[in-house]
Parts: sequence; structure tokens; C-alpha cells
Amino acid sequence: MIVFSERINGMYRDVRSAIVERNPEVIQDLAEQQLAGGADVMDLNVGPAKGDAVEHFVWLARTVHEVTDKPLSLDSAKADLLVQVVPRVRDALPDTKLVINSCTAAPSYMEKLLPVATSCGAAIIGLTMDQEGVPGNVEKRIECGATFIMTALEHGIPIDAIYIDPIVLPVNAAFKQQQFVIEAIRQLSIVNDPPPKFIVGLSNVSQKCRMNRLLNRTFLVMCLAAGLDAAIVDAADDELIAAMISAEVLLGKELYSDDYIKAWRMQRGLPAQVEPAQV
Amino acid sequence: MPIPDATQTWSGRINPVTLGATPAEGGTRGRTVTLGGEAGIAFLSSDGETPHPPAIALDVLDTTPVGWPEPLREVYGDVWSEPAGWARRAADLGADLINLRLLGTHPDEGDRPPEAAVETVQAVLEAVDLPLVVWGCDVPAKDQAVMPKVAEATRGENCLLGAVTETDYRTLAAAAQAYGHKLIALAPCDINKSKQVNILVSDTGYPLTNLVIYPTTAALGYGMEYVYSILERGRLAALAGDRVMAQPVILDVGYEAWRTKEARTGDEAAEVWGPIGRRGPAWEAVTAAVLLQGSADLLVLRHPEAMQAVRQTIGELTAT
Repeated sequence: MIVFSERINGMYRDVRSAIVERNPEVIQDLAEQQLAGGADVMDLNVGPAKGDAVEHFVWLARTVHEVTDKPLSLDSAKADLLVQVVPRVRDALPDTKLVINSCTAAPSYMEKLLPVATSCGAAIIGLTMDQEGVPGNVEKRIECGATFIMTALEHGIPIDAIYIDPIVLPVNAAFKQQQFVIEAIRQLSIVNDPPPKFIVGLSNVSQKCRMNRLLNRTFLVMCLAAGLDAAIVDAADDELIAAMISAEVLLGKELYSDDYIKAWRMQRGLPAQVEPAQV
Repeated sequence: MPIPDATQTWSGRINPVTLGATPAEGGTRGRTVTLGGEAGIAFLSSDGETPHPPAIALDVLDTTPVGWPEPLREVYGDVWSEPAGWARRAADLGADLINLRLLGTHPDEGDRPPEAAVETVQAVLEAVDLPLVVWGCDVPAKDQAVMPKVAEATRGENCLLGAVTETDYRTLAAAAQAYGHKLIALAPCDINKSKQVNILVSDTGYPLTNLVIYPTTAALGYGMEYVYSILERGRLAALAGDRVMAQPVILDVGYEAWRTKEARTGDEAAEVWGPIGRRGPAWEAVTAAVLLQGSADLLVLRHPEAMQAVRQTIGELTAT
């Protein structure tokens, strides 16, 4: 699975003040923790930080790039902001792979962001929602997902640079939605051959839940079994990563060995770590 | 109907592992042999290149073999009491490497001391200028006494030493690391153990890229399918990006093929099977040719006619 790290987000107070104060150490420490856990892509979100959001993004991208060459995922729900941010980050970091996170299937969003993805050579995450909001069922998710895939392909974005996010909602607020996400992944896998990549923003599932980490890793395993390729997660959550690797072994994506978690880390050039509490 | 494009692109690649060292590289070999480097499934040039076609080592023992069938006696009988002469014969027959087994160090087969083993290895090194594969006697306690001495005495020759296992790897890995040799990682017919051995050896600080995998071998008619499926599973994992499994593979075909009753039974008892002089080498060659398809990088063989037939097969499969 492609591990998008979620921690560098202005929703967290430490990140928000580091952005405003231009304190690289806080950001780079967090980045190092996510990288040590196995992050493959660094998701960056300036959140509600006061000031010029475009400049915040460019600073954040440069600051994280100083400690890693990994791809950067530029995360905002505001299309107009991403339209300005992505070309600026592309200019600042010409050799870094970028992911646009995210774009809905509403025509007004796709018109703005798909050309930016094409011109900047960026991958893009498409949400299975449109101007009418988040669907309450599977069917509308499929419709939005299919629309996004087809439109992105028409813009010349290669299928392996297209991610689909079927939108995870909190289990305490929307208890049937988790099954819809899983079913949407299954059904959208056959819309295009080869299929796009599927991604979820995992921690949404457990927002304001007491046993959030247990819910996160359980849902991640369920989604992986349905065909999930990537997730935005806290890569420093060892138990979550261990559950993810275990699922990939059980799904036949990784070859088993008694030390399969160590093997997974070795393959990423990560130092061995103490195994998570007897799993 | 158009033929669908079945080309696959792989993210992984098999590690190239070079054996032997020329004088310029600090050894005394006439040339080196590189194994591995494949970027796709065996012999599927559309998938990816095979930069180093499979190599062949011929067997040499440090002790006169017992019970080797007539076709092998005809080829080696006059030299097999003396390893250096035997190695020279193998080189003259066209081997890429010499596969030297220190069976005489076995506690029940002569119990030769480490110093005697070292003398044998040195005599073979002087007799031929091919790279060397050296195995112990498969008794861990004895191998741990013999193999470090062999590793030390052959410092700079970049030999392939065998074998480390899940339970016995520290001594040999340390010796190979100290004296610059490659290692065979043995896990009998168990792909998951094979991965585990590689992890354990790597934990000692020995590089994964210096390992060659030995999944054991089975002959035609004796469970070869099982070995084949393990070869294939390991190779597919490696090509899909599992760097812990990206080692070239050695197979001990000669030993297995010449154990079968089809290769051993004399003509008087097996008239309908055809003459043993053809039957034995054919059994060895067919076993090798089939296992090559599952991905093998170094074949250990015994009979020169089998070697010739396998070479011809490799040549035809890699011809462009």
C-alpha cells in the first residue's frame, strides 16, 4: 500500500503555529517521524493557518523537501487555492512528484484542476462527490467516480496518476457509509482496465470516537481486502502499519516470512525497530 | 482476432552477483562469472532483459566418490581420486565454474581436518583458473570449523560459499564478510523460510546483494514440480519489488538427477529404458532444462553431455 502521511496538517495546532511562525524544525521533526514509520508520500495541508495560504504551502513544501525526496501531496478542499499552489510548488521543486489532493467530480472543479494536473505533471485524487455533496449511497459514488476517471483520462492524465477517494465518513455519525466505501472500491475497480488507484482519508472513520486507532486499523484492513491501494494515515502509528503489512501478506501482495514486518521495513531502507507490542 | 499484448513491466530486478576475481581484482582467476541481473521472467525477452544467461558449474569432490554410476566413472574415473586433476578435467570439459564439495570433512566420511580441506581448496585454485563454489559437509559443527579457514585461505578469490541456514548462519556470514566471499542461503523447499534466512543473514550486516538462494532441488519424477513452484513464486515476488528475495538462484541438479533409479540402474536390470550412457545424462539435462524455466541462475551438473545439452537449450532460449 502507498502510505500517505497525514500528520503535517494545519488542523493540528503545533503545525499551524509552525507554519505561521516559519519554524521548520517542528515540521521537519514530524516529517522524519512519518518517514521512519514508512511514509511513501507526504501529504501537506496548511489548514486554517492565518496569512497567505499560497505562500504557506510553498514554504511547507520546501521545508519538507529539505528532509526527503518523497512525493508531496498538496491537500486542500479549495480548488482556487490549489490552482495557484500547484504551479508554484512545481516551479520551486521541479523534480518532485506531486499529487493534487483533491478534486470533486463537479464540472466547475474538474475544469480548474485537471488542466493543472496535466500541465504540472501531477497525479490527482478525485472525490466521489459533485456539486450536490457527499453521496449517501453506493450508486452516486460510482457515478461520480466514473465521471472523474473518464474526464481525467480525456485530459491526458495517465491512469496510474489517477486516485479515487470514495469518501470516508465517521462511523459515529454515518454508520452505513463504511460499507458503501468498500462496495464503491469493488465496483469502480471494473470501470477502467487497468483500474485507477483507490485511496481513503482513513482517520475520518473514527473522528471523535474513543477507540479511534482500533477503528482506523480495522477499517484499513477491510478496505485493503476490497482493493485499496493507498491511504492517508498516521505513518507513525506502528500498530496501524503492522496491521496494514499483515493484511498485504494475507492478501498475497507480500511474501510471508517470520519477520515480515522487518522485511517490509528493510525494503524501504528503514532501520529495524522494536516490534509493536505483542501483536 | 488480435493477439492481446501480454507484456508485463516489473518494478524489481534480480541482483547481479559476480563470482571469482582476476589478478586485477585481487584474485587469481582467469575470468569472473556474473549471475542474475534479470529484469523479467526467465527467457521472456519481452518482459525484460537477461543480461547474464544461466551459468554451469561441474561437481568436484574432495574424496573419491562412492557409488557414482558408470557414465560418470567413464568421464572422471581416472582423476577422481585427486581433486586438482578432477577440477582440471571439469575445466577442460568447459565448465564455467568448479563446484567443490568438502565431503571428506564429514565426521563419518573421513573427518578430514580444516587444514586438509584448505590444502584441497588451494590445490584446486592452483589447478584451474575458474571461479569456485565451495560447500562444507552439511554438519554445522564441522562446517563452522572448516569453512572459516577455507574463507581465510581463499581471501580475495571471491568464492561462493555454502551454505547458511535458518539455524546456522552467524559463523559463515562473518567469515564471508571478513574475507570477501559470496554466500549461499539454503532453505529446503520453503519460500517463507528462504525469505527469513535472507533477513537473518542481513541482520548480521552481511549484504543481501551478496547472497545466492538455494531452495534445494528435486529431479524429474521426484517432486520437481514442487521446487518449480517455489522457484516461480520467489522470482515473481522479486520482480514485483521484494528486494529481500531478489537474489539469483543456485540449483544442485547433478546430485539429484544421479540419485534417481532411472539414472543409476544398470542396463541389465532396465533393458527397456535404453542404455544408461544416454539415460543418465538425459535425466540430468531434462531436469535442468525444466528448472531453468522456473528461474535458475547457476546449475551444478555432473555429466558433460548434460552440460552440453543444457547449454544448447539456454542458447536457443536466449537467442535474439
